[in-house]
Amino acid sequence: MKPNKRESVFSKLSPNAFKSIFDLGLKKRSYKQLRTILFTTMFGMAMLPLLLVGGLGYYNYKDLLQTSEQEQLEWQLDGSRKSIEHMVESLKSIIQFAAKRDHFIELLLDDHLKQLYVRIQSYYPLLADLGVIDQNGIQQAYYGSYDLQATDYSEEEWFQKIFDRGVYVSDVYTGHRGVPHFAIAVANYDPKTHTSWVLRATIDAVTLQQFTNTIKTDATEDLFLVNNQGKLQTSSLYFGKSLSQFKYSTEPGIQHSVSESGEHIFKAVGAIEGSPWKLVLVNKRYIHHDDWKRFQLRLVLIILVSLVISYIVTLSLVGVLTNLIRKSDETQMAMVQEAEHTNKLVSIGRLAAGVGHEINNPLAIINQKIGLIEDLLVMSEADFAHKGTIQDSLKVVNQSVDRCKAITHRLLGFARRSEVYAEQLDINEIIREVLQFLDNAMLYNRIKLELDLDDDLPLTTSDRLQLQQIFLNIINNAIDAIGKKGLIQIKSQGSGADIRVIIEDNGPGIAEEVLPNIFEPFYTTKETGKGTGLGLSITYGLVKKLGGDIDARSRLGHGTVFTITIPLKN
Amino acid sequence: MNKENNSTIRIVIADDEVEFASTLATRLELRGYVTEIANSGERTLEAISRQIPDLLLLDLKMPDMDGLEVLAKLREHHKELKVIILTGHGSFSSGNQGMVLGAFDYIMKPVELSLLLEKIATATAAK
Repeated sequence: MKPNKRESVFSKLSPNAFKSIFDLGLKKRSYKQLRTILFTTMFGMAMLPLLLVGGLGYYNYKDLLQTSEQEQLEWQLDGSRKSIEHMVESLKSIIQFAAKRDHFIELLLDDHLKQLYVRIQSYYPLLADLGVIDQNGIQQAYYGSYDLQATDYSEEEWFQKIFDRGVYVSDVYTGHRGVPHFAIAVANYDPKTHTSWVLRATIDAVTLQQFTNTIKTDATEDLFLVNNQGKLQTSSLYFGKSLSQFKYSTEPGIQHSVSESGEHIFKAVGAIEGSPWKLVLVNKRYIHHDDWKRFQLRLVLIILVSLVISYIVTLSLVGVLTNLIRKSDETQMAMVQEAEHTNKLVSIGRLAAGVGHEINNPLAIINQKIGLIEDLLVMSEADFAHKGTIQDSLKVVNQSVDRCKAITHRLLGFARRSEVYAEQLDINEIIREVLQFLDNAMLYNRIKLELDLDDDLPLTTSDRLQLQQIFLNIINNAIDAIGKKGLIQIKSQGSGADIRVIIEDNGPGIAEEVLPNIFEPFYTTKETGKGTGLGLSITYGLVKKLGGDIDARSRLGHGTVFTITIPLKN
Repeated sequence: MNKENNSTIRIVIADDEVEFASTLATRLELRGYVTEIANSGERTLEAISRQIPDLLLLDLKMPDMDGLEVLAKLREHHKELKVIILTGHGSFSSGNQGMVLGAFDYIMKPVELSLLLEKIATATAAK
């Protein structure tokens, strides 16, 4: 069968826990587990796409921002680098220009170096001093605030290389002065003396500081210069004063790193051509930091709200669903139990009827034989030994047969014809008929009767004899239960497509643990010999046969109420 | 025991329980009735077609034929035959059904002889 195959594929694919939970067969299931699985599945299904889209949006936007961030940093770096290069270049050209115009010998003369110093300083107030160095590294002339005349530079590295390079720009240093400076040296050749010489200018590092301060824009948090050894050449906002060590890499390019305190650091490094310096740009925040924070907040808010709404909706939905399943299970369970109960009654009934029939026949023979013996005893005129005892014994045997007869007749009641003779009946009339049989019993036991019969009751299509027997049994039971002195109330009323007869007594009531068993055959609480334990089960069977229902409610010490429901049409 | 006027009354007892039928027959004979026993439905029909009795005591449960069936068949030819149904069913209903088919009365097994005698007297009084 195709549907079965499909089903088996499905069942193979689904996990075992699911199978047992969703198996709609009749059995106990854990509703807590069912609820958990349903909730997890539904909530998961609702949240998964949301989280996926949210995550995707988050990372894409972050990516976008980072790219734009990087581009902006690159532009900034490029612009700043060019400005500084330009500055360095112009400084160099001034010194170069001065060196070319003033020949070596001239500069050594008294006032010439001073005049040059004054001229340059008028453009560059931060020029600290000027020196003229011969090809042997000896400072031949000097103008400045220190006494550096005749200083020997021949051993210094820059001097050894200056004639190859032509121009040299030094790192920032404090030197003898104790104030940060840097030097620009320009090599030259004097054709008159045929010697090479060097013009060396020392410039206050404040120049650099001022310049870096000017090119710093609002978008840049920190901008400074470092030399090849990683020493700060200008002071930095985050990494200390000039000449302190910069502990991060100065590899040119753009880097993103996280500091020890967990701060994001965006760093752009670019080499300044013609100088030993590198420009470093540092931002600790994204340029789009506020946009990013706003986006994060919104995303979290949307997800949080969706989460809460999904949670509430799913939870209530799952609750309703689980309750529906539980109710349907309970109804099904009750129906099965009812069917099992009815089945049990029917099979016990059949068995009882069979036994009853088998016993009834030998009983009939015993009964006839005793009758015959009694007949013969009466006929025999002669008295003989123990004749009286025999007659007495036979009487007792007869009484016992009568007791057996009562039982077998009730047992046989189960095997009553199954067809129902339907006729139009007035239920009230049947109740009254039955009560006629019981008048004497009630009078004798001083039991009061209260009738509350609805005169407008519609006619019922049902079986008269069976209805009689039903009411007879229940009222008889009530009389037996009360014993002496009490009250029986009988009420009839229409109820939709049914008629309801309520028979209530104020007898001792039925114990709670006994109540569920009262319709079972052979279940009796009457003393041995008094009841067969069949009355109520026969009644139950009859009511069911007529398509009706019977229900008993009882409270110990207060009495019992039987409610018999008979359909208007069977 | 009163045997008066009973000697002319002939009763067929139809019951498959031989002991029951024979004992009942003996007791009725002690009271002057003339009896004949038939142990099956077939034999009952046979006995009646041989000679119509004054009364038929008919058990409802016989191996070859249901008592009601026998009754229905008898009704075709012997409408006037008086029948008292013996029923072990413990219910009025099959007795009732018999009454619908024209039985005179019914009595439940085990049979209370005094009650049966009353019913026999009533049934045969019209004779």
